[in-house]
Amino acid sequence: MKRRNALKSVALGVGALAGLPAWANGWNRDTVRQTTPLLSPRQDQLLAEIAEAIIPTTDTPGAKELGVHTFIQKMVADCYEPKAQATFSKGLETLEATAQRTLGKSFAAADAAQRTSLLKTLETDAEAKGFFQMVKNLTIRGYLTSEYVMTNLTGFQMAPGYYKGCVPVKKS
Amino acid sequence: MGDAKKQMTYDAIVIGSGISGGWAAKELCEKGLKTLVLERGRDVRHVTDYPTGMMNPWEFEHRNQLPLEIKQQNPIISKCYAFYEGTTHFFVKDAEHPYVQEKPFDWIRGYQVGGKSLMWARQTQRWSEYDFQGPARDGFAVDWPIRYADIAPWYSYVEKFAGISGNKDGLPQLPDGEFLPPHEWNCVEKHFSQQMAKHYKGGRPVIMGRAAHITQPKPIHLQQGRAQCQRREICERGCPYGGYFSSNSSTIPWAMKTGKMTLRPHSVVHSIIYDEQKGRATGVRVIDAETKQMTEFYARIIFVNAAALNTNLILLNSTSNRFPNGLGNDNGLLGKYVAFHNYRARVWAEYDGMLDSTTEGKRPNSPYIPRFRNVFKQETDFLRGYAAGFGAGRGSHTKQDGIGADLKASLLKPILGGWYVGSHMMGETIPKETNFVALDPNQKDPFGIPQLRVSVDYDDNDEKMVKDYLAQMTEMFTVAGFKNIQSSDSKQAPGLDIHEMGGVRMGKDPKTSLLNKWNQLHACKNVFVTDGACMTSTSTQNPSLTYMALTARAVDYAVKEMKKNLI
Repeated sequence: MKRRNALKSVALGVGALAGLPAWANGWNRDTVRQTTPLLSPRQDQLLAEIAEAIIPTTDTPGAKELGVHTFIQKMVADCYEPKAQATFSKGLETLEATAQRTLGKSFAAADAAQRTSLLKTLETDAEAKGFFQMVKNLTIRGYLTSEYVMTNLTGFQMAPGYYKGCVPVKKS
Repeated sequence: MGDAKKQMTYDAIVIGSGISGGWAAKELCEKGLKTLVLERGRDVRHVTDYPTGMMNPWEFEHRNQLPLEIKQQNPIISKCYAFYEGTTHFFVKDAEHPYVQEKPFDWIRGYQVGGKSLMWARQTQRWSEYDFQGPARDGFAVDWPIRYADIAPWYSYVEKFAGISGNKDGLPQLPDGEFLPPHEWNCVEKHFSQQMAKHYKGGRPVIMGRAAHITQPKPIHLQQGRAQCQRREICERGCPYGGYFSSNSSTIPWAMKTGKMTLRPHSVVHSIIYDEQKGRATGVRVIDAETKQMTEFYARIIFVNAAALNTNLILLNSTSNRFPNGLGNDNGLLGKYVAFHNYRARVWAEYDGMLDSTTEGKRPNSPYIPRFRNVFKQETDFLRGYAAGFGAGRGSHTKQDGIGADLKASLLKPILGGWYVGSHMMGETIPKETNFVALDPNQKDPFGIPQLRVSVDYDDNDEKMVKDYLAQMTEMFTVAGFKNIQSSDSKQAPGLDIHEMGGVRMGKDPKTSLLNKWNQLHACKNVFVTDGACMTSTSTQNPSLTYMALTARAVDYAVKEMKKNLI
C-alpha cells in the first residue's frame, strides 16, 4: 500500500462515505471526506502492537508493517454495529489497563513474551473474549488480504486467463 | 414542421439502453435510422467508467464488504448478490427511486447507460419449442404468437455478435446456438453429469452453461474492440476487456460508430405522446434528471426498452383521450400477468471422492441442468418446472490456533478441503391477472411521476415446485454419491431473481394481449416493446438472450414496415 494512502485512511471513520456523489458510494478513497477517527492516535498505536503480536514480523513483514491495524479500525468503524464498536473500544482500554496493573507499563512497552501472555489472558476472559476474537479475526483477514501477502506469499492471480478443472493435488 | 421541432425529431426513439435497448439502438442505427437513445441514468462509457474494474482486492478499504451505513440505508438492494463495495455505483439505492410494495417485492435496478447488462449473470440459454408451447399446452396465460422457428434465426443472429460460449449438446429442450468454445468442467461436475446420464438414462442432462463470454474471439468481436475473457470473475464491475457482453462494450459503441445515434443520459421518460388525429404515437415526454425540465422528442417509431416494470410504468402513464388507461391498453390488461423466476431453493453437499484432484484458475460460469420436469408431457401435480444451476469446487482453509509466529506460519499453509457441490433452482412461475403492477394513485417519485405499485406473489404451484426441486436434487445428489446433503428455502420475495417479466404480453388476440407477434402494440402500431415486459410466459431460462433476439427481430420488421409506409 502506498504510504500516503495508508496515512490518509488512518484518519477515516464513521460516516466517511457521506460526501460522495450518490453513484460513487464506497469506492473512491481519494475523494472520501476525512472525519473523526474511531480511535485516538494512542489507541491506534496500541492496536498496531496487538496486531503485530498476533501476526509478528518474522522473515516476512508482520501485521504492523503491513498496516493491518488501519484495516481493522476502518472495518470496525464502518462495517460493525455500535455494540461491536463498544466492545472493541472497551477491549483496548481493558488490555491497556491490565498491562499497567500487572506489568506497571503500557502494552506497547512490554516485550514479546509479556504481550503474548497478556493477550492469552484475554482469550480466556469471559468479558474480553469477544474483543480478542474480533481483533484476531480481523488481523488474520487484513493480513491475508494485504497486497504484500497476496502478491508475494499466496500467489493471487487477478486474471488467470484459464480454468483447469482436474489437476493433481500438489504435494506440499 | 418548424426548425425547433425538427431539431427534436428523429427517425426512431429507444427508451432505455440496457440489454434490449442497446440491441434496438444497434439495429436501428445499422439500418440507417437517425436514432435517439434515452437513458434515465448517467452515462457509463466502456472502460473509462468502470472505476473498480481494475482494482485488486486489497485496494478496497473494506475488502468488498458493504459498510453498515450503506446496508442500513439500502435494505432492498443490499440483498442482491452482486451488490458489494466494488459495485455499489451500478445499482439504484433504495431511497433514490421509491416504489410501493403492495406485497414484498425486491426490485433490483441499474439506472445508467448499459442498465443491468453491466452486472448481469451472463447466462444465455435459448428457449425451445416446448417453452413457447407451454401456455397453450398447459392452459394458462395466452398462447404465444410465435414459435421456436420464428425466433431461431434471430437467436443465431444475436449470438454471433454478442459472443456466446457453449457446447452443442443436441437437446431438443435447450436448442444449440452459435457457440464459441464452451467453458471447462471440473472432475466432480463431470462425475455428476455422467452419473445423471447413467441413472436417468438421458432424462436429466447436466451440461455446461451457455454464457455470454468470449472464450475465443472471432473477427466480429475484435471489430467491437472486445478481447478474450481473462477469467477474472469480477464481471459485475464492468470488464475493460469486453470479455463478456454488455451494451456498454458492444451494442452502444457499435451504434455510436454508425454516426446515427444520439445517446441522451439523464433522460427520464415521463410518457409517450399519442396524437389522436394521426392515430399514432408521435414522440416522448422526457424529464431531464438534472434540471427537472420537461422536453419533448419526436420520432416515427418508438421502442420501449426501459426494463420490464418500468416499461409497464411508462405505458401506464401514457394516457390520452384515446387511451385513458395507458397506451395500447384497450383491454385493461396492461400491467397484469406479471411473472418472474422462482429462485428460492438451494441444495448443497460434500463429496469425499476425487481427493487427489483439484482445480486451478477461474471460470465465470458453471454447469446447468435444463428443465427435466413436465417438458415433453405433464407428469407432476404442478405445472411447468425448473432449471437448476450446478457447480462443484474445492475450498481451502487454514489452522488458526493461537497467536504469534506459529499462527503466521499456519496461515500461509492452506489446507485443501474436500469437494463441495451446490445447486440452485430457477423455477417458472405462472403469469396471473392477480400478479400485477399499477400506478399508485397518490405517491409520486422525485420527478412527479406516479410510483409503481407492485403486487406480485408466489402461489401454490410455486410451493409444490420448491418441494419437488428439493426432493429431486436431493435424490440426484444421493445418486451421485454426495454426502451431508443440505437444503434451504430462502423464501425470498419475488424480484430478487431479477427476472421479472410480463405486463405487456405478446399474444394473437388484441382482446387478451397488448403486443402482436412482432412486439408491436396491437392498438398503436408504431410502438414496440421488446424487453421483459413483452413476455407471455417466463419458462426457466435466463431471459436476456430472448430479449436480444426478439429486439433484433422486431427492429427488422419495424424498419420494413416503415419503408412500406405502413407505420
